[in-house]
Amino acid sequence: MSEEIVERFRQIIEAREFLVVGKKVARVDALDAVLGRPIYTGDLVTGKTLFVKAVRSKLPHALIKGIDTSRARGVKILTHRDIPGVNDAGSLIPDRPLLAVNKVRHIGEAVALVVSESMEDAEDAAENVDVLYDPLPVVKSPREAMSPNAPRIQEERDNVVTHFKIRKGDVERGFRESDIVIERTYRTQFITGLPLEIEIAYSYPDMDGRITCISSMQNLYDVYNKVLKILGLPAEKLRVVQAATGGGFGPKSDETPIDVAAYACLATYHTGRPALAAFTRSEAMTVQCKRHPFEITNMVGASRDGRLLAWRSTLLEDTGAYISKGHLVIGRATFHCTGPYEVPNVWADGYCVLTNNTMAGSTRGFGAPQAHFAAESTMNELAEELGISPLEIREINMLKPGRYTATGQRVEDDGLLRCYRKALEASSFERRLVEYSEYNRSSKSVKKGIGIALLYHGNTLGPEGDDFATVLTYVDRDGTVHVQTGLTEYGTGALTSLVIVTAETLGIPTSRVRLERPDTASIPDSGPTVASRTTVIGGRAALDAALKIRATVASVASKALGVKPEELEFRDGRIQSPGGGYVAWEEAVQQCFEQGIELKALGHYMAPPTRWDPETGQGSPYNQYTYGALVAEVSVDVETGFVRVERLTAAYDVGRAINPLGLETVFQGGSIMGIGYALTEEIVHENGYVLNPDLHSFIIPTSTDSPLEVRSIIVEVPGPMGVFGAKAMGEIPVVLPAAAIAGAVANATGIHIRELPLKPERVLKNLKTQ
Amino acid sequence: MPLKFRVNGVEYSLEVEPHERLCDVLRNRLGLMSVKTGCGVGDCGLCTVLVNGKPVTSCLVLAYRASGSEITTVEALGTEKNLHPLQKAFIDVGAVQCGYCIPAALLVLKHLHDTNPYARREEVRHALRNVLCRCGSYLRFEEAFEQVRGK
Repeated sequence: MSEEIVERFRQIIEAREFLVVGKKVARVDALDAVLGRPIYTGDLVTGKTLFVKAVRSKLPHALIKGIDTSRARGVKILTHRDIPGVNDAGSLIPDRPLLAVNKVRHIGEAVALVVSESMEDAEDAAENVDVLYDPLPVVKSPREAMSPNAPRIQEERDNVVTHFKIRKGDVERGFRESDIVIERTYRTQFITGLPLEIEIAYSYPDMDGRITCISSMQNLYDVYNKVLKILGLPAEKLRVVQAATGGGFGPKSDETPIDVAAYACLATYHTGRPALAAFTRSEAMTVQCKRHPFEITNMVGASRDGRLLAWRSTLLEDTGAYISKGHLVIGRATFHCTGPYEVPNVWADGYCVLTNNTMAGSTRGFGAPQAHFAAESTMNELAEELGISPLEIREINMLKPGRYTATGQRVEDDGLLRCYRKALEASSFERRLVEYSEYNRSSKSVKKGIGIALLYHGNTLGPEGDDFATVLTYVDRDGTVHVQTGLTEYGTGALTSLVIVTAETLGIPTSRVRLERPDTASIPDSGPTVASRTTVIGGRAALDAALKIRATVASVASKALGVKPEELEFRDGRIQSPGGGYVAWEEAVQQCFEQGIELKALGHYMAPPTRWDPETGQGSPYNQYTYGALVAEVSVDVETGFVRVERLTAAYDVGRAINPLGLETVFQGGSIMGIGYALTEEIVHENGYVLNPDLHSFIIPTSTDSPLEVRSIIVEVPGPMGVFGAKAMGEIPVVLPAAAIAGAVANATGIHIRELPLKPERVLKNLKTQ
Repeated sequence: MPLKFRVNGVEYSLEVEPHERLCDVLRNRLGLMSVKTGCGVGDCGLCTVLVNGKPVTSCLVLAYRASGSEITTVEALGTEKNLHPLQKAFIDVGAVQCGYCIPAALLVLKHLHDTNPYARREEVRHALRNVLCRCGSYLRFEEAFEQVRGK
């Protein structure tokens, strides 16, 4: 197999019409799902299993004076002293003990573990462990945390963890040259991504003398590496496998999957027995990483004809008591603080701040929903001040080829403009605008409105980490192709994309490709499954592996067919020569086995490094951008303050639709999740205590809350990085709903509500005061 | 306490503790792992099973109270070779995301389809109201029912 053949095949595949890509393909795991067959972690538990529960802090900030276990009898108690390795569970930054040592910094922080023969006994015993505390003052908000005499949350570090900057042009001059300058402050709330399968891990001593841990997670190797250090074991003594995972949404890439895995593995380590650690719903909702609340102040200047001249943003991000991914979320939020608009002069300061609230971390969208809610609302308010429409101000300023982002990155494609036009057209925006305005003249209690929001979304990790993926592909003697990677499936369907890419490259149906479970014992690290990067980056690695297999098979088949390997076409389960001769895929594979030629390839891809200057924020932090436009139509009951989303029209530039059916599902599902963020969801902290860690007072959308229609429009402007031009999509549909809905509510009522969620009492209060 | 009931066509006679929940008996004793739990207090609907044909959140039912009843879970809905039309529709319309609520959503819609095969859209939405789907597949579930309406 030569590099040349691989390269030649790459060119051929990219030049020809696709065979599988873009066609309707059922999710590879859908059949199992409808039969109720996927094995989630909790389905594995057998007899002789021990159960592990954490003893959790009942105060948000306190010194630990002692632990009294006299009331918790007949159970095994583990404290930080029983950790054989390093007592640190911080997913990226080592700032978070697995079990508290002498201080707790947020409500629900784990202080000790109880190991027992039944879950009920473990729960009772955990309640009966008395931790003696000396309360400390509670830091409730970033503003408090930034005041000069605020107590430090973490002794060795300032409460301001990161100060993230953008310095572009001369913002003072921009304001001086502006005809109109407005300043507005927007606030967003804590929510939890709330995967419906609660955090859970099951561990057991396996037959090879190691501990195997099976669990529900996004990031296989983050869990593996961290638990290995906590146990202080050599690499070969631990194996981590991802079970079917009932939702990720970010929290399952952060801290809590490490916690449950470590709890179970510690119990197995100390007892030699299988152990299960699982949270309750309220425990999960208290401690799983949440979406960061932001306070964003935008001061924006424009010329009378609507051109943006200056933009100053100050972003305060509450990351809770430990950093988790807060230092990266503030970066993405700050990079995107102007929305998808060209502004010649930008000054932005983003602060990631520690408080005694519960941790915030990765949540689908990663800072973009907050930044876009503020930016798009600012654009609506500015348009109103200028006396132009929300459409005009967007048309004048939106990113187009040749324009520059807030970080000075040149835009190369017209994805945003295309999404904008498609969304306007499909929603009949301008006609609806007139209709609703007429309707509102005669309707007293219900007002209707329409709003639009636009986005750009820097693809994959960019400055947030090493953007690589590996995929292992191998072929059985009967021609079955196995694809295995450390990237995980937790709902988005991204691994089906890897199957599609493989089938496309080898010219076989997707039913001949089998997806294997992520398992540290059989595959190398493939980086984290975050940042909507599985199809984009993982797809490149899957393509690389499949091309290598194709080149090997071609070199064998070419001898039988008497042509050069690169002249062979792979399609319909055959390897065909230009003259019409062919061998079946299975036959060619058989020949390889007979000749002792291995059909196994490790595919790899590493995204080009991104460059930006941390002092000015200037540069190209991302290799490519996804663009999108969302139109929301709402009705507002002005007597009750109740907002109903009637219809959404979503147009996203996905680069290349690898799996159109999957995209529609994700467009709709993410939109509905975004409606919850816009209208109802809020985890309430009061003085550090979480008031509503349950599903009857944290309200997520049900079927009757979803709009009657979510129009999904796929726009394809291929990007330079992703597989076959694909752009990131998994997170994107949750970014805009809050912004578009707030815009529609403003259109309906004439008031701009600057705080999420747009719950009835807030809407009513704003209707009365504005 | 004695529990005699019929689950997926099989007669079971068991001895259960008075506090045991139906969902735990179905999962832990009968091995019916399609029955998920998500809250334990009836908020999420993931533990929905059909009791005498009607959807019930099995985390709120003490197992012994199910004596004499007939219970259906997704394990008995269809087989790989002979899928229930709703199962097939779920695959065709791309309803599956993380998969965790799929058994509950299928059972709720099966009950609706059995009792009201021409159910209007509002009725479908109302029936699904008791199952939370964080991936937001609700419109896909509606679309799946569309495919089997009246069939």
